[in-house]
Amino acid sequence: MHRLPTLLSGIFLVFLTSWLGLVAYPVTQLGRLTPVADPETGGTLPAVYGGQALAGQRIYAMEGCISCHSQQVRQTSVTRSDIERGWGTRPSVARDYLRDSTAFLGSRRLGQDLSNVGVRLPDAKWHYIHLYHPSAVCRGSLMPAFRDLFIVRKIQGQRSDEALDLKGADAPKPGYEVVPTAEAKNLVAYLLALRHDYPLPEAPVKKAGAAQAK
Amino acid sequence: MSENTFPHHDSSHDSTSNRVAIDSRAIDASVRLPVLVLFGNAIHWLIVATVISFILSIKLIAPGFLGGISFLTYGRLAPMARDLLIYGWASQAALAGGIWLMAHLCGRPLGTIMGGVLHSTLLVCAAVLWNVAVLLGTLAIFAGYSTGVEWLEYPNWASAMLFLSFLLIGIWAVLLFDRRATGRAEVSQWYLVAAFCWFPWVYGTANLLLTWKPVQASAQGPIQSWYCGSILALWLLPVALAAIYSLLPRLLGCHLNRRNLATLGFWMLLLLGGWNGMDRLIGGPVPAWMTSAGVVAGVLFMIPVAIVMINIFGMGRNPGNLATQSIPAKFLFMGVYSLLGVGILGALSSLPDISASVRFTGVTEGKTQLWIMGAISLPLFGVMYEAVPQLLGRDCWNATLSARHYILTIVGLWMLVGIMVLGGLFTGLALSDPTVSFLNITSYSYPFHLMECAAQLVLLAATVILGANITRALAADYLLNKKTGN
Repeated sequence: MHRLPTLLSGIFLVFLTSWLGLVAYPVTQLGRLTPVADPETGGTLPAVYGGQALAGQRIYAMEGCISCHSQQVRQTSVTRSDIERGWGTRPSVARDYLRDSTAFLGSRRLGQDLSNVGVRLPDAKWHYIHLYHPSAVCRGSLMPAFRDLFIVRKIQGQRSDEALDLKGADAPKPGYEVVPTAEAKNLVAYLLALRHDYPLPEAPVKKAGAAQAK
Repeated sequence: MSENTFPHHDSSHDSTSNRVAIDSRAIDASVRLPVLVLFGNAIHWLIVATVISFILSIKLIAPGFLGGISFLTYGRLAPMARDLLIYGWASQAALAGGIWLMAHLCGRPLGTIMGGVLHSTLLVCAAVLWNVAVLLGTLAIFAGYSTGVEWLEYPNWASAMLFLSFLLIGIWAVLLFDRRATGRAEVSQWYLVAAFCWFPWVYGTANLLLTWKPVQASAQGPIQSWYCGSILALWLLPVALAAIYSLLPRLLGCHLNRRNLATLGFWMLLLLGGWNGMDRLIGGPVPAWMTSAGVVAGVLFMIPVAIVMINIFGMGRNPGNLATQSIPAKFLFMGVYSLLGVGILGALSSLPDISASVRFTGVTEGKTQLWIMGAISLPLFGVMYEAVPQLLGRDCWNATLSARHYILTIVGLWMLVGIMVLGGLFTGLALSDPTVSFLNITSYSYPFHLMECAAQLVLLAATVILGANITRALAADYLLNKKTGN
């Protein structure tokens, strides 16, 4: 082991074990998972993201949402609290991430888990107000306000349908309105598309009645 | 032991300095410029990272702080700070310390490997490339070009630059080992060779599969965790261990016993290091055997940690009274203690029952801090305090500043980690109880975030003092050279 080639071969062989297990195996096995047919809609599961949601995924990455938000519901063999908190109806599996460009698994929950935020909070208007001023709808939230995702503009003729219904100190001056930018619309489209409540062969969804009985 | 004790600027505690046969002055002269460039830049990135970490900790107690400026949101600053700590500071200091240690352990000035002064120019160019990559990568996160992959947020062109720069620097460490003037290699040299081979492999694989040409996202989880574990345990920690194994016996003037054990520790670390990161995915969307392997690796990781303890504390001289040691020795010892902390914390938090409640809390963050700022940074500080005076050829540190930097670093680090772990346990318990609302938990964690902020301030003070100390040393050296016309 005192000659370079011998030492290098030793290092290579031992290091290969974790590389094979945690890189080669996932790429060749998990990387080849395919979508399954959705009997209800005739589409596939997980569903394909729309164009807006796909662009919103970029915003999610660049704003570093992953610093505070995870996207995974843990196995019930480890903990039931993720499901009991309402973050999902079943544990996340590898196939759930099939349509993502990056798996935003996350490692910290300074904010809530987002794997099913589209199911939990399906109202786009709520998301706009929340992004504009988080603690207006969640008192005590640590989330920063993303004012850059919005434009304050003078109302031209009629107030826009998209304008945010802001109250109190957040409300713009009379004659003005706050509207989401294209980025905000994309981000919210992505958040609303985060729904992993469908059953998969490896992850069936228990009937609501069975869950309540527990 | 066939190699020599590194000559010390202060040889009073070095009984074997008369055995020096290798011209260590020539070795220092051959690596002087690149090592100083790397150390100097590493420290300035450390200062930037600490400032950002302080701002982040304020944002957790006052979310509106610096609000309304899009590039200063928590989500952009957090990856910037972490990447600066990993690539700007720790990796760069590991490159500097690694090259310096390797040249001395191998008894070869760099110039005798390839001849000429080309090597120094090449290394400095590579070091500049590294820093340009870190700067551009950081600015890219600022400007919203982050990849969104944890610990790999730099855009693909910046990470490609880092990769290339590493190859240009790392090749010298491997060449030095191959052409060493000393006979039998010691375990610190193995650690260095391994570290310099692992980084390109780990960083290259992870970037290729996650950012350069991303694989289907269903396969990305294990690769992300493998990267986070490996970059710490297989690149940065081996360099820190090389420093501990090579410098501590020399500083204390005693011999390392139980070399076979040290060898076993080396192979154990190698084997477990890659699996170690899988505790980041316990209960996650990966096959169960992977996380089981992570749990096993997390617990077994105690073995290489214990071996380091046995080796260091079995050196024959009781290092108990830290107060009498020199600053480099103090930092190296504190690195050993932090490694013990990392081992215990890692083993406990990878147990499924504990992981279930604390995985997404401050415990994970505190563990990462203890890894980077403790087990890795403290030994690197030790190397730096030892190397810079030798490179400059005189005792250049201000003793008061060095002592203050040491005390504040240790106090700040243990405060920060302690608070994060304690706060994490509280939030973890609350998170496991679904009847406690999430916003309620956020309000519970307020006092912990407040104390975290205080700890970050202490660390910031420590880092600024370090910055002042090295600026002072380098400026004095510059003026001295100017006067003597060098």
